[in-house]
Amino acid sequence: MPSTAALLSQAFNGLALGSLLALVASGLTIILGTLGVLNFAHGALFAVGAYTAFVMMQATHSFVLALLGGSAVMLIVGFAMERLVIRHFYARPDEDQILVTYGIGIVLVEGLRAYFGGNSQRVPVPSWGVGATKLGFMIYPTYRLQLIGIVAALLVGLYLVLYRTSVGLVVRAGIENAGMVGILGIDVRRTFLFVFAVGIVAVGLAGMLYAPVVAVTPDMGASFMVQSFVVIVLGGLGSFPGAVIGGLIAGEIISLTSAFDSAYSEVMLYGLMALVLVARPQGLFGTEGRV
Amino acid sequence: MSLLEVEGIDALYGDSHVLFDVSLRVEQNEVVALLGRNGAGKTTTLRTLMGVLKPRTGAIRLAGLPIHGLPPARIARAGMQLVPEERAVFGGLTVEENLRVARLTAGKPWPLDRIWEVFPRLKERRASRGRTLSGGEQQMLSIARALIRDPTLLLLDEPFEGLAPLIVLDLVALTRRLAAEGRTIVIVEQNVSAVLDLADRVYGFNNGHIVYEGQAADLRANPAPMRGFMGLAA
Amino acid sequence: MRRLDPRAHLVELALLAVLAVAPVLLPPLGFSHDLLSRALNWALFGLGLDILFGLAGLLSFGQAAFYGMGGFVAAYLLVSGTIQSVWLALLVGTVSAGVLGLAVGWLAVRRIGIYFAMITLAFGQMAYFIENGPLSDYTGGENGIAGVPVPVLGFGTYAVRITAGLPMYALLAAAFFLGFVLARRIARSPVGLILRAVKENTGRVAMLGHDVPAYKLAAFAIAALYAGLAGAMLGPFQSYMPPDAFALETSGQLVVQTIVGGVGTLVGPLVGAALWLWLRDNLQLIPGFGPLWKLVLGLAFIGLVMGLRRGICGEILHRWRVRRDAAALRMARARTAAIEAAGGTPATPATPVAAEVALAIPRPAIDGRAAEAEIALEAQGLARHYGGLKAVDGVSFRVRRGSIHAVIGPNGAGKSTLFKMLSDEVAPSAGAVLLFGSPLTGSGVSRAAQRGVAKSNQLNQLFLGLSVQENLRVAALSRSRGRFRLDLLRPADGRPEVEAQVAAMLTVLDLTERADTPASVLAYGEKRRLEIGMALATSPNVLLLDEPLAGMSLSERAATCALIRRIGRSCTVVLVEHDLDAVFGLAERITVLSEGRLLADGPSEAVRRDPAVQKAYLGAVQADAAETRESTHEPA
Repeated sequence: MPSTAALLSQAFNGLALGSLLALVASGLTIILGTLGVLNFAHGALFAVGAYTAFVMMQATHSFVLALLGGSAVMLIVGFAMERLVIRHFYARPDEDQILVTYGIGIVLVEGLRAYFGGNSQRVPVPSWGVGATKLGFMIYPTYRLQLIGIVAALLVGLYLVLYRTSVGLVVRAGIENAGMVGILGIDVRRTFLFVFAVGIVAVGLAGMLYAPVVAVTPDMGASFMVQSFVVIVLGGLGSFPGAVIGGLIAGEIISLTSAFDSAYSEVMLYGLMALVLVARPQGLFGTEGRV
Repeated sequence: MSLLEVEGIDALYGDSHVLFDVSLRVEQNEVVALLGRNGAGKTTTLRTLMGVLKPRTGAIRLAGLPIHGLPPARIARAGMQLVPEERAVFGGLTVEENLRVARLTAGKPWPLDRIWEVFPRLKERRASRGRTLSGGEQQMLSIARALIRDPTLLLLDEPFEGLAPLIVLDLVALTRRLAAEGRTIVIVEQNVSAVLDLADRVYGFNNGHIVYEGQAADLRANPAPMRGFMGLAA
Repeated sequence: MRRLDPRAHLVELALLAVLAVAPVLLPPLGFSHDLLSRALNWALFGLGLDILFGLAGLLSFGQAAFYGMGGFVAAYLLVSGTIQSVWLALLVGTVSAGVLGLAVGWLAVRRIGIYFAMITLAFGQMAYFIENGPLSDYTGGENGIAGVPVPVLGFGTYAVRITAGLPMYALLAAAFFLGFVLARRIARSPVGLILRAVKENTGRVAMLGHDVPAYKLAAFAIAALYAGLAGAMLGPFQSYMPPDAFALETSGQLVVQTIVGGVGTLVGPLVGAALWLWLRDNLQLIPGFGPLWKLVLGLAFIGLVMGLRRGICGEILHRWRVRRDAAALRMARARTAAIEAAGGTPATPATPVAAEVALAIPRPAIDGRAAEAEIALEAQGLARHYGGLKAVDGVSFRVRRGSIHAVIGPNGAGKSTLFKMLSDEVAPSAGAVLLFGSPLTGSGVSRAAQRGVAKSNQLNQLFLGLSVQENLRVAALSRSRGRFRLDLLRPADGRPEVEAQVAAMLTVLDLTERADTPASVLAYGEKRRLEIGMALATSPNVLLLDEPLAGMSLSERAATCALIRRIGRSCTVVLVEHDLDAVFGLAERITVLSEGRLLADGPSEAVRRDPAVQKAYLGAVQADAAETRESTHEPA
């Protein structure tokens, strides 16, 4: 049995991982919900985000500027992807959408590998995040605490956009019935473009924020993507609150299990997913609408 | 110039609903009913007018402006508004949010208060989610969502289907009021008695063809021509 | 023993020839023996995916789990010394993968599209982490298992070790060839036909009486067996079992190769794998281009999915078929256009018709007390509520055996919902349906069909990509074979009673000349007839027809009414129809619904004169008008 301190520290790790997963999965889930497209390039875009942070850090030496510049880059990537490829796939079968986004994922990952090489890159922890913070009951790396705070702020921001703006209103209506939104005079294609780009910025930001914590490699997003699939299955496809709660649950399961035996951490996660699929296939927050 | 002119449209929908060379016109301030059996092409006609389906051939003009081939959003902004058969209320949005979505791109939207005046029931339920509404309330919301955009041409697809008789009476009264205010309406409805009371003019559909055109008053007096397109044992 | 007709096996013979000359002709082009061997291993792996995705339409991103399972089980058994014989280890590895496939498939096949892809991907990852974590003592974790022995053919002094190079190529080629022959048989078996139908319209296959989840699970397990065998051969082939057999990239590479080569062609996986490996090996030799090979491949893949989505072999095959069938298709289309222009099929059947519809396959027997039952179908207090909406609210009525019974009512009266409960497509909120006195409700739509309840739908639910006779065959097979049967090696058209049934139905429906026409090309009236014919081809005791006349022309209506009357001579028929003339002409008894409740139920003539029915159905204006006119002249 691990000590209380070790469990607490793992619980915080779970919170950090879980909030990142929540951010990755919310991008995935609003794209899936609104556009009906499951984005298999999501993991690659996570890595693109991390590399953008790496380049921007080298150019500006400011993590804040790197985040801002990186978001702009991700926005452009998202626009380009939607305009050039995804748009032509709205009316095609699910399988085609999966295949083409998987292909984009390969191109992005291999593009990163061709340009930056296969070796890992390091992004320094921002100056304001170096060191550890005493929390009274334990000591925890400062940047990871800040990471939790930043991601929470981003998720609140996303929540406000979705639930407090008219664009968000259109997106939520579009998740339920994109055709009817068009009949009510709203250009659904512009909404789709916006949603796709926001989803890509979300996953890109997750990659940027994660970059100082790990080694940056072209393949770094793969496991995040599969885990975020588990998250949206747990939370219910297309559900933003489901993605957030599901992300936190997934993060805690992975971290707390590894406090006992790290070999089982991911196994537990997929085991839970199997359980949810059998007992409640629409997920924890999904309704029988769009599946 | 008629408000709506449809010239020789052909349309495909899946493999079962087909329109052949459908031509019709709707004058300003007129209520026109499309009658016919299930699958005769009435709903397909409305969906084609709204741009949900693209006509293969033919022309559609709204107030002289060609609209065939445009996406539904553009046609809606040109002033046409479809209330679809399946109502398509956004179930996760509240009543008020449903109405706010509809207002977004309207040129001269109604203030919410005017909707509440017409639909006091919806005002009571303004904060309820769409999926919690009864069938009649959903139909009201679906019509309200169209009205708030102040459309020049309102397309109603089976607005009374599956509703209790008292609610149908309410909705008939509402539609009559809208017609009296001078709103132009195209209505598809199986409830023949209700619709003949409302309409000025009738088109009869059979197998995707228009097989009858006449005044509603004539049909009320002598329903015999309806045999050809309704299959009723009149 | 049957004589082998070489023409019937042209494809197999051609493949054999290609496999024989490849190691001689291809090496100068950059295909080494090793490369060809690896391609064959991937191709064997891909055959399973081709059956799963190409035939059944299920896109799996978790095939690596079964590849790795087969591989590591075999490698562990050999290296640990548990099993000496490589052949036996291959068998055990393959079977283990099949068992895993059954377990994962049991969860996965309940879902389609996005969900299916995600579930298989997640289970693939789960297998990877189990292999690398809890089981790493057995699998060597990240090191894999080294020193896997090669197979030995023969005994004692005659023993031949199948070493790397040509011998291993020959072994892998033999395995692929056998796998290919088997896969081709499966694709042409009743199971293959049913899977193709599932891909087109899952719901209809179940309505016809086939156990859809079981067939999908079978396809999943077959794919897992192929993966397991390929994985098991990997260790002996490379004398090393790599841990990345379990990796996500393996599943992904398999999908890409199969799509590039052409899904649904069975040779596609081989062409795709050869191309992938050739590009990797040869592009890496070009200076400065090495790291780019996968980027190039990814771009090509995107282009392929956007444009030529059939893949290389699929595109070739498609063009060849289009040329071969062009004339026939043009004629079929012309005929359809002529029918549509004439406003439907002429009502004059080419041949005089028998009074009864003769079926080649017997209807299900009605045993015991039920044999005497006067009532074929009984609804007891059926209700169905959707949220607050009561679509059907406590409806009871009885359908006499051998009668034609109609259910009518205004739109929204609940007729379609009632019908779906009669065939057990929709579970009632309350009440039950009895078939010849025993409960039907709760058995599910495919079991209901097996018990003799067939339904044709208001909106056509045909298998549009299949020919007319294949549509009918899918239906007839369900009565002949039952809900589920794994007759993988038998040809789909190899059951005489099924073929007789199909031929009889083609005559009855007046579609004999259209037997080989794809259902998508038919005229609307013909599609409508086929829709009814598919239900009838299951040899039902009770036939439910949901608006059989919808959208038909007048002449087609008359012909269809005559057909229904003929069917009614030997089968209980229940129909929902808006055309009241037709209903009063056909039905002996009529049940009237209004707003989900029973309004009237009785003999046709009594219901017709019931003022409540007139009012509810025709509306007040109509009823008044009808009364005033009734006195002046009788309706025709």
